[in-house]
Amino acid sequence: MHKAVIIGGSAGSFRVITRILHALPKNFPLPVLLNLHRLKHVRSGFVEALSIKSNIPVIEPYDKESIKAGTAYLAPSNYHMYIELNKKIALSTEEAVNHSRPSIDLSFETAAHTYQRNLLGIILSGANKDGARGLKKIKDSGGTAIVQDPKECEVATMTEAALKMTQVDHVFSTQQIIDYLLKIK
Amino acid sequence: MSKQEIGIVDTRNVLKAIKETHDLDFKNHALTFFKRRLEHIMEKYSLRDAEVLTDKIKNDKDFFEQFLKEMAIETTELFRDPSLWRYLKDKFFPSVLKGPGSYKIWFPEASSGEELYSVAILLNELGLLDKVQLVAGSISRLRLDGIKQGRLDVNKMEVNHANFKRIFNEAELEDYYTQRGETGYIKPDLLENTEFTLQNTYYDKPPRNVKLIMWRNQMLYFNQILQERLLKAFCHTMVPGGHMIIGMNEKIDYWNSGKDYILVGDNENVYKKRFS
Repeated sequence: MHKAVIIGGSAGSFRVITRILHALPKNFPLPVLLNLHRLKHVRSGFVEALSIKSNIPVIEPYDKESIKAGTAYLAPSNYHMYIELNKKIALSTEEAVNHSRPSIDLSFETAAHTYQRNLLGIILSGANKDGARGLKKIKDSGGTAIVQDPKECEVATMTEAALKMTQVDHVFSTQQIIDYLLKIK
Repeated sequence: MSKQEIGIVDTRNVLKAIKETHDLDFKNHALTFFKRRLEHIMEKYSLRDAEVLTDKIKNDKDFFEQFLKEMAIETTELFRDPSLWRYLKDKFFPSVLKGPGSYKIWFPEASSGEELYSVAILLNELGLLDKVQLVAGSISRLRLDGIKQGRLDVNKMEVNHANFKRIFNEAELEDYYTQRGETGYIKPDLLENTEFTLQNTYYDKPPRNVKLIMWRNQMLYFNQILQERLLKAFCHTMVPGGHMIIGMNEKIDYWNSGKDYILVGDNENVYKKRFS
């Protein structure tokens, strides 16, 4: 049974994530954790852009904010976002990992540690290899791993790296990802 | 070397070793942060397990200096969050530095120095640097040595320049540092009025009559007990009407904190100590 969804992506993932958020119902039963690479200095605007079409609230969490179902938490620009055992979010300015801050790997790994087999991890279109190690950790912890079909991705580096490292559960198109999420009760 | 996972018992042993050997207390650092940081240090210094780490903390002085440096998390870049710095440049500093009298700015954990350098550069651009006294603290001697020398990580120059350009139209960041090999150095005259203080804790003997505390993204690493303790101690050491600036995703939020601090300043996380 899934208790949380975590999604990572970079270049080319914005439209995909917008579609997913648009499709999720207001009472979506899980928290949605988002870690998307973007420009550092653009602090605002991104959350607003994602909110426009989303039926669930999209927020950039404060440090130590509690995670609730039916809300999307976007890793703030230039911070790592960790998912803590007490189901809270922790932010940090520690070193970039693979040139990334936020690092998808770090969010995925800590979420895997917290949610174990109840975590659903999704890697979308992206231009570097961040996320591959994190998705493996989700799978190794008994969670479910989905990767967007590289054929559909604007940039396939991230999805291909993830597929190379992990025997994932599903390779899905955006529509199939949406269908899967909508079946979650 | 692949990442070691360290358990809760090991973490407690490390805390105990630090306390007993060095009389430093990390128990109110956010526990998961602390544990993660230990794992990072073990990986970076190729330490086999927590026992080796504990042993080095107890017996290897040079290693322990490195350890403290790793615990003073870097401040990442010059002029992080340009919109804050635009606010400081256009509104905040011109207003608070209007009158006569000294103005003391404290950086409880100056760490890799970028916040300190950014304030010094900004005040210099405003022609106000002579009016302020800067106090830069750290728990790490190595960090302090680095900022005394004005060291700057040149790997971050691209983002430093990009931030700078979003704040200043005319000025050039190049005028403020020199590069020798792999290291950048901030122009020494910027830090002429800076006092450096090594601290065991952040609440132990804070400087007096502080008018501004720059404390961005430092609370992240503490639990709520220490956050509250520090916020109260900092409030106490500030003059009434003094200001505290914290990170964009931090909050001052303890019981009755509204009696100590109020949020001011257009969308930026600038708090003011209440008069009363």
